[in-house]
Amino acid sequence: MNKYNPPRMNPSSLRSRFATRFLRSLSKINAKKPTASSSSPTEIFRRYRRIKVAADKSMAYSVRSRRTWSRAMLWKLRTRPCCRRSVKTSTIVRKTRHEKQNKNTTTTTGEDGVVFGVEADELRELVPGGEAMDLYNLLDETAHYIKCLTTQVQVMKKIADFYSP
Amino acid sequence: MELNAGTAGTGSHKTASERDEVAALESLQFTDEIRRLMSAPATDNASSFTALLELPAPQAVQLIHSPDSAKLIAAPAPAPNVDEFKGSFNFPFNSGLIERATRFSLFAGDGSINDNNKSNSPEPTSYNSSANLQKPVKSEPAETESYQPLVSDPTVENRSTKRKDREKVKGSTKKSKTGAKDSSDDAEKLPYVHVRARRGQATDSHSLAERARREKINARMKLLQELVPGCSKISGTALVLDEIINHVQSLQRQVEFLSMRLAAVNPRIDFNLDSVFTAESGSLMDSNFSGMVMPMMLPEVQLNGNRQQYPQQLHFDAFQQPVWGTEEVCNNYITPENSLLSYDSSGNSASLHSNQLKMEL
Repeated sequence: MNKYNPPRMNPSSLRSRFATRFLRSLSKINAKKPTASSSSPTEIFRRYRRIKVAADKSMAYSVRSRRTWSRAMLWKLRTRPCCRRSVKTSTIVRKTRHEKQNKNTTTTTGEDGVVFGVEADELRELVPGGEAMDLYNLLDETAHYIKCLTTQVQVMKKIADFYSP
Repeated sequence: MELNAGTAGTGSHKTASERDEVAALESLQFTDEIRRLMSAPATDNASSFTALLELPAPQAVQLIHSPDSAKLIAAPAPAPNVDEFKGSFNFPFNSGLIERATRFSLFAGDGSINDNNKSNSPEPTSYNSSANLQKPVKSEPAETESYQPLVSDPTVENRSTKRKDREKVKGSTKKSKTGAKDSSDDAEKLPYVHVRARRGQATDSHSLAERARREKINARMKLLQELVPGCSKISGTALVLDEIINHVQSLQRQVEFLSMRLAAVNPRIDFNLDSVFTAESGSLMDSNFSGMVMPMMLPEVQLNGNRQQYPQQLHFDAFQQPVWGTEEVCNNYITPENSLLSYDSSGNSASLHSNQLKMEL
C-alpha cells in the first residue's frame, strides 16, 4: 500500500483542539441515548440542542479564557441550565453591573458611537459578550470569533460529511 | 460675512474675518450635520450602495468638475446656517466650503487650493483630482472622509457633488495643512502641534485620543474586511460592518444546521474515538474546504435524507465535495472499503469507520 502521509497539522492548533473536544462530547452525547427513540423528532431535537451546546462549549474551551467572547460564552453556557444547577448569584450580579457600566461608556464614545451606532449594536448582539465592549475591542473579538466560527463550521462539516452519506 | 466670500470666490481673496466667522460656526455644526446626514442615508438600502459604489470616484469627480468652477465663480451669498445645508445643497455651501478650505490654505500657501481647483476643473481627466482625493483620504482615515464616498453615491447628485467637492477641498486642504502642521481650529495656530489635525476638530487631548482610537478602529476594520470574504471591495465602514454582521450570522446558522445534521446522523454511529481523532486531525489538513458556505436549504434536505435512509450505504467522498441530496450519485462512488461497510448495524460501522479514516490518511 502506498504510504500516504499527509502533512501533520499542529496538534495544539485551534482546529485540532476543537475537533478532539467536539468529538469527545459527541461520543458522550451518543453514548447516553437510547436507540429506541432515537429517530423521533423530539429526540433528534433534543440531541440537536445538546450537540449545539457541545459545539459551542468545546469551541469556547478550546479558546480558554483568552478572549472575552469565549469567557462570555462559557459563562452563558454555565448559567443556561440554571434550573438544574446552582449558580452563584453574586457573579451574575457583578457581571450585569459591570456590563451596564461598560455599556454606559460605550455609548459615550462620541463620534464612533454615532457612526457605528446601528451596526455596532447588532454586532454586539451577535458576538457573545459583546455588550460590554467598546468598538475597538468589539472588532477585535469579532475577528477572532469569525475565525473560530469558520474553524467550527469546517470541523463540523467534515464530521457530518464523514458520518453521513 | 459670507457675502464677501461668495463674491470673491474666484480667487484667493479671503479675508480673515470671514474665515473666523466661518470657522467658528461651521466647524462645529458642519461636521455634526455631515455626520448626521451621513448616518441617515447610510441606513438605506444597502444594495443600491454597492451598485453605485462601482463608479463613485470618476463619476462624482466629474460631477465636481463641471459645477465646481461655476460654483466658485458665480456663488451667491452662502448661508452659514446649517438648515440650508440640510434643505438644499446649492451653491452657497460650496463656496463656503471652498472658503474654509482656502482659509486653511493660507497657512501653507494660497495658491494650493486654487491651483487644485483650477487645475482640476479644466482638465477632463478626473483622475488627477481623484488621486488627490484618494491620497489624503486614504492616508487620513477620519470617518468623515471615509464616509464621503459611501454616502455621497446613493443620495441626490447635488449632494454627491457637494460632498465630493468638500472632500476634495478637504483633501487639498489637508495636504496643505500637513505641510503647515497647523490645527484645524482657526483660533489655535500653535506652531508646535505635532499631531496632524483633522479638519473641524480640536486638538485637545480628548480629540487626539479619539482620533488615534478611530485610526485603530479603521485598521481593525481592514483586518475584518480581509477575514470576511467579499468585503474587500466594499468601501465604507457601514457596509463593511453589515457584511461582517451577515457573515457572522451565516456562520452561526451554519453551525446550527451542522449540529442538526449531526443530531440526525448520529443514531446509527458509534464513535470510535482514538482513530477518529487521529483521522480527523489528519484529514482536516488535506481536505479542501471549498464549499464552506453551505446553502441553507441543503442541510435540511440532507437531514431528511438521513432520517429516512439509515440503511443506506456509507459513502466515502471526503476527497471530493459532498454531493448534496443526491444519494443515487453517491452510490456510484462505492469504494471497496465502503462495500464492506454495511449499513444499518452500528456496531460494525464504527471500526470500519476508523479503518476508512485511516485509509483517508
